Amino acid sequence: MEEKRLWQFGTREVVYAAIGAALYGVFSWVTNFLALPAAGNISLRPAVAIPMFFGVVFGPWVGFLSGFVGNILGDFLSGWGFWWYWDLGNGLMGMIPGLIWLSITSYKAKSAIIKAEIMVVIGAAVGMLVPSLLEIFFSGIDLKTAIAGYWFPAFLSDAVNGLILVPILMVAYDSIAARSGR
Amino acid sequence: MLVTWKYRPRQSFVETFDPRARWIFSMLVLFSIIKFWDIRFLLFFFALVMTQYALTKLTWAETKRAWLFILVLVVFIVALNTLFTGRGGSGTVLHGGHVLWRVEWRLFGLSIHPTITVERLWFAMSQIVRMLSISILFFIIPYTMDPRLYGVTFRGLGLPDRFAFSMDLAFRFVPTLARDFSTTLDAQRARGYEVERVEGGLIAQIRKMAPLVVPVTMNAILSGEDIVNAMDLRCFGLRPRTWVHKLEYQRRDYLLIGFGLLLFIAAIVVRNILHVGDFWMPAWALQWAA
Repeated sequence: MEEKRLWQFGTREVVYAAIGAALYGVFSWVTNFLALPAAGNISLRPAVAIPMFFGVVFGPWVGFLSGFVGNILGDFLSGWGFWWYWDLGNGLMGMIPGLIWLSITSYKAKSAIIKAEIMVVIGAAVGMLVPSLLEIFFSGIDLKTAIAGYWFPAFLSDAVNGLILVPILMVAYDSIAARSGR
Repeated sequence: MLVTWKYRPRQSFVETFDPRARWIFSMLVLFSIIKFWDIRFLLFFFALVMTQYALTKLTWAETKRAWLFILVLVVFIVALNTLFTGRGGSGTVLHGGHVLWRVEWRLFGLSIHPTITVERLWFAMSQIVRMLSISILFFIIPYTMDPRLYGVTFRGLGLPDRFAFSMDLAFRFVPTLARDFSTTLDAQRARGYEVERVEGGLIAQIRKMAPLVVPVTMNAILSGEDIVNAMDLRCFGLRPRTWVHKLEYQRRDYLLIGFGLLLFIAAIVVRNILHVGDFWMPAWALQWAA
């Protein structure tokens, strides 16, 4: 079997990046119009688990494209235009959990899930911080507004949704992983 | 569940340009806008992007959702920023000022005194014009750019073949996965699953999404294996890929890029050499505080 490299981007990664992006876009759009109940600052955004999960399972490039392109697709489908620095942030949110991709042998092992959870939180924090800080230059807001108005609500929502759904997806994937043959 | 892209051919002037030229122009205008805080310059860019919007032949009915989203976001963020500090950007600082409104609240022993000055209000207006200009510049893109051309466009802008193809493939997967989602939702509802039911805490509500998210995701991954095998059997990636659509620059595209470059260079000259374009407020505005 071919040795895996962290930043590889072969045929498999091309396809799964596309699938991850399409899933993120569709789930984002659907959960927007399903008008799911929310609690305070934390909204129901189950879609954010997709780029994080795809990063953990298929690598950082797949996670990045799932988040980056997926966010573009979700915004296009919802008719919200194009916000490239938020697309970049979503890409980072998927890429960072992908950094542990090679270290996972079993997706349902406790150690793998704990590692993934830690990377989900870091990914959400960094992924939402970058566009929030870029808003300082583009929208002309100051640091306090960027943190309180953009970063904190987005980070909290993404982290909570990711922490709950990524392990569920990992355990489900473990049962089908053996069928992939690669 | 039918997924439809917002794009449809309108035979507008904007659509006659090469998508690559449009992206380059948009980025040049963006980096020109962010150099200014003077509302007089910002209004020029606002007029420019509104002219571009007018040339797209988009209707209010098609874009009202986007407009509402942008207006709500801009007003909320500007209001928050104005109340917090009234300053922003990488270099603009407003100290003191002529007070229009001030109130003092005591909350848990802390004294909070939001203040609106004439200077903050004027800064907020400049900020609104700036944010709206940037938003309108880009929000027309999904309505006026054919989704089939994104892959070849980004390839033409220098993105590696595999990344550009992955982007193209993602657009093609959307209707299929939306249909699978719809089928799964109906199947789960037939088994008593109610996604809209408000019950349990936040964690329980998020976990309740699993019966929707997991089957659709796992099915998509399993289907992906067949696609990977089919592509490998056709030697995908062994040589540079050709595309169904071919993009060629016309004279008007070079003119558009040239105009964008002119704006950007002018912005640099005005700001960095002539030192004009920083925050400005007319003297007559001070009468508001009188």
